[in-house]
Amino acid sequence: MNTESVKQFFRKDFNGWWLVSLMGAAMILLPILFIFFSIFQEPNENWFQIREYLLKNYAANTIILVVLTGVLTAASGVSLAWLIAAYDFPMRRFFSWGLILPLAIPPYIAAYTYRTMLSYTGVVQVTLRNQFDYLINPEWLSISSLRGAVFIFTLFLFPYVYIICRAFLENQSSSFLENARLLGRKPFSIFVRIILPLSRPAIVAGAVLVIYEVLSDYGVTSYFGIHTITTAIFQTWFGMYDADSAMRLAAWLMVIIVGLFFIEKLLRQGRRYNISSKARPLVRQKLKGFPAAAAVIYCSVIFLLGFFIPVVQLLAWSRLTFTKVWNDTFFTLLNQTVFVGMLSTALILLFAVIIANVTRSHSSGAYILSKLATTGYSIPGAIIAIGVLALFIELDSLLAPFYSYMGWGKAPLILSLSLAMLVIGYTIRFMATGFNAVEIGFEKIGTKYTEASRMLGFGVTKTFFKIDLPLIKGALFSGFILTFVEIIKELPLALLLRPFNFDTLATKTYQYAKDEMIFEASIPSLMIIIISVLSVAVFQMIDKKVKK
Amino acid sequence: MKIISIHNLTFSFPKTSIPVIEDFSFSMGEGEIVGILGQSGSGKSTLLRLISGLEIPKAGSIKIAGSEVAGKKTFVQPEDRGVGMVFQDYALFPHMSVKENLLFGLSRLLRKERNPRVQEMLELVQMTDFEKRYPHQLSGGQQQRIALARALAPKPKLLLMDEPFSNLDANLKGSIRNELREILKRANMTCMMVTHDKEDVEAICDRSIVFGKHGEKQSEVLDNESSLTYVR
Ligand SMILES: Nc1ncnc2c1ncn2[C@@H]1O[C@H](COP(=O)(O)OP(=O)(O)OP(=O)(O)O)[C@@H](O)[C@H]1O
Ligand SMILES: [Mg+2]
Repeated sequence: MNTESVKQFFRKDFNGWWLVSLMGAAMILLPILFIFFSIFQEPNENWFQIREYLLKNYAANTIILVVLTGVLTAASGVSLAWLIAAYDFPMRRFFSWGLILPLAIPPYIAAYTYRTMLSYTGVVQVTLRNQFDYLINPEWLSISSLRGAVFIFTLFLFPYVYIICRAFLENQSSSFLENARLLGRKPFSIFVRIILPLSRPAIVAGAVLVIYEVLSDYGVTSYFGIHTITTAIFQTWFGMYDADSAMRLAAWLMVIIVGLFFIEKLLRQGRRYNISSKARPLVRQKLKGFPAAAAVIYCSVIFLLGFFIPVVQLLAWSRLTFTKVWNDTFFTLLNQTVFVGMLSTALILLFAVIIANVTRSHSSGAYILSKLATTGYSIPGAIIAIGVLALFIELDSLLAPFYSYMGWGKAPLILSLSLAMLVIGYTIRFMATGFNAVEIGFEKIGTKYTEASRMLGFGVTKTFFKIDLPLIKGALFSGFILTFVEIIKELPLALLLRPFNFDTLATKTYQYAKDEMIFEASIPSLMIIIISVLSVAVFQMIDKKVKK
Repeated sequence: MKIISIHNLTFSFPKTSIPVIEDFSFSMGEGEIVGILGQSGSGKSTLLRLISGLEIPKAGSIKIAGSEVAGKKTFVQPEDRGVGMVFQDYALFPHMSVKENLLFGLSRLLRKERNPRVQEMLELVQMTDFEKRYPHQLSGGQQQRIALARALAPKPKLLLMDEPFSNLDANLKGSIRNELREILKRANMTCMMVTHDKEDVEAICDRSIVFGKHGEKQSEVLDNESSLTYVR
């Protein structure tokens, strides 16, 4: 990029839309930079303690969790995707969407549900004891461990890999497969020699989403008592009141994430397949006898463990506590959650639409802007929360003269005790979700209608309202639902940024579970799951409409 | 007065080294109709996009009706250039009926003049019975005619057409061709038209230019009335 093209950009493309987009990008970037620059500050004594005795252990745990979960979700995700995409067997249609459902259960909810079910008084041990007179070694069932966390993450996050791989295999693999079959390859060797290498980009894309979730997790790990960098951030901030060290930990976690980002780039590139755009859909092979039974059993086990059993258990618990929990306090909670969710989603979509409208011209700078807008998704909620907190406290101290001038007291915390913090936090973290949906909408309509409108005498803004907006309505709708659900499920960010006495479904669930009020936690948990499942259903419907 | 005059225009797409248009100069008087011929990929559509303001030149200048719209220091946004365009792929707004599509460009007209203009345009392209239809309910040729009508409706100073007849059958082509020439001449409208069909050029255009391949310098006189120019 030279000065001439910068000048050209300002003449042709720069306008109010760009200005607002840059402000949005700054809002996203500022808290992240805040954390990043904490590395260069003089560390305090506490930090040396942490680094000496804890950091290595925390980092090791984090990396073990990430690697094991990554490998296991990749394996289960791609194998299930392959079964569903390439074979026909009883109940295949049901499993094809049923296997998405585990994603509707946030891992922290699954964690407390499974731990309670497997405890001494839980349904598993009680049944074995009473019905079969069998005393199981409790060691075998102890889930509060690294192993248990990997189990939970795998079971409830594998759909990310499954969804991406299935879409890829269904649409893109037919010609390779037919050739392989004609060459007389056996199914297993086709899977290993063709499908795995072919779907590597899809697997990596899914696994990276899983890993971001794991790195971001606070609920499962803290409940199981596993020390990771994310839990350490909470501990140093709330346990030791050491904000500096918390920021430093966050910065280190960012370093891991940046590393991960490069590994992903490395794994995705290399082989570029020439995939034809006119690909035919895959013709499924019918399975019979033993292979069919094995496929059904494999899918059933995953579906039962990943959705059915925990939901039934939660339903059973909710009956016990229905009268106690289902009251006005709960409705207030529900209202608050929906309110803050809607508000944040609306803000996200507003910025997403503005930024996507700017970046779709592919003018210089557009690529960087779209990358900036979507950085939040790869950064754990806890880090974003710390950044936002630190920034808001800084803002409050900057504004202190103004506050006292207004007669609001000496150096009060106004911004950093307000709901604005939580809303901004959500906006930064989930901008990518809204942005991607809107971007897909813009990609589908292309630029020709916009250009036609401008040739008929309408400027960018009028064109947007008359032409673009009506044409991307569908994309906006799906973006709204996706973003809203993500916000409802998010835990660490809400825990750190909610104002005093303000609860969301997620934080309340976590609070109940932490206080060992497991039965009480079931109703808010179910509420979150229902909202998520509804969104999955809406997507199935939209998907079907599009296919017709 | 020259309706359009282009001086030493150069353009290349970002991240490409070879310019699509290089050092191109050209001008047109009021009421002239010029055909642009050339192989696929030779930069014909790009030239129209530059004139209309959808792309910004690397170097050189473009003047429309005497005032500079693109140059070293100026860039006039497409909506302010008073240029009409028929797109290669029509770009009819899918969420608007035929009538709404035509009305879209008439916002600067008095309210009571709008409907008569729409009718006039529909008659011109022989589509009077279709005003309530939506674009997806029209055949390719019908869409093309509506696109033509939509671009003509606001009476632009300069009309750019990117293969406006490519989807019409020979019959329709013949009748629209003749009528179009008449309308353009009657309104004294200046028009640039990209086409693959030399018959179009003979029937409608006063002269034509030919775009050549990269690196080749070529120029060709295609019809007797005038000289051609350019290319690369
Ligand atoms: N967005 C783009 N980025 C890079 N190169 C482009 C882009 N759009 C077009 N080109 C290239 O610019 C050249 C000119 O394209 P243009 O569309 O002007 O051709 P054309 O003469 O209109 O062809 P056709 O007769 O097929 O419509 C082509 O070689 C094309 O590959
Ligand atoms: Mg073209």
